[in-house]
Amino acid sequence: MKINILFFAGIREEFGTNKKSIEISKSENSPYKLINSLSKKEQGSWIMLLNKKDSVRVAINQEVCDWNDQLNDGDELAFFPPITGG
Amino acid sequence: MAIYIQKELFEVEKIISNIRKNKPLIGAIVSFIGYVREFNGNDIKVKKLKQMDLEHYPGMTEKELIKIELNAKSRWDLEDVCIIHRVGKLLPSEPIVAVIVASQHRKNAFEACEFIIDFLKTDAPFWKKEISDRDQLWVQDNSEDYKRKNNWDIKK
Repeated sequence: MKINILFFAGIREEFGTNKKSIEISKSENSPYKLINSLSKKEQGSWIMLLNKKDSVRVAINQEVCDWNDQLNDGDELAFFPPITGG
Repeated sequence: MAIYIQKELFEVEKIISNIRKNKPLIGAIVSFIGYVREFNGNDIKVKKLKQMDLEHYPGMTEKELIKIELNAKSRWDLEDVCIIHRVGKLLPSEPIVAVIVASQHRKNAFEACEFIIDFLKTDAPFWKKEISDRDQLWVQDNSEDYKRKNNWDIKK
């Protein structure tokens, strides 16, 4: 299945892009499983993301979610740092 | 109820007069306006801010702000609510955000305005980057903001 990943603020800068469209397998069907797998396969910024996972917020289809929530085909997954607006 | 996310400056007086048009029941308007500070007062060797970059998550931001407005409307009897938040490049002393709440009496407007800005601070996906004469840093989140938000959940 295919999902779209969005990166914001400092995480966007570390990845050097604001979005990626990727094909994921059934064994990668949660934000946690996905970054765990990509940090082994692609390494680079994914390792950084995994290491600082506790200070990263994750959202599926524009709703803040848990790292173990399920990803489905066509989902929009977003990674961002804690919010600092206002 | 209205939400504006924009690069341009805004004028609170104009928004207030629009809110008041044809609404004879409004007896109180409370507005909160947040501005870009030129200096970070907590720094011993004061840094001078040159610019603030504001990033947001289009789509999710609007959804979260609507949720916050609806929550406020379900807790207090309000005549109208307007939230404006700027994005892009902001200069020192420019306004960043405005929350304007109209009600029949002042108590509801005061409380709802504070409620809205407290939730905006932790739930609406905006990020600030401060560009000073010394460095460029993403602003860190503030534990005080979470405390303030959580206080609301306990109160009612």
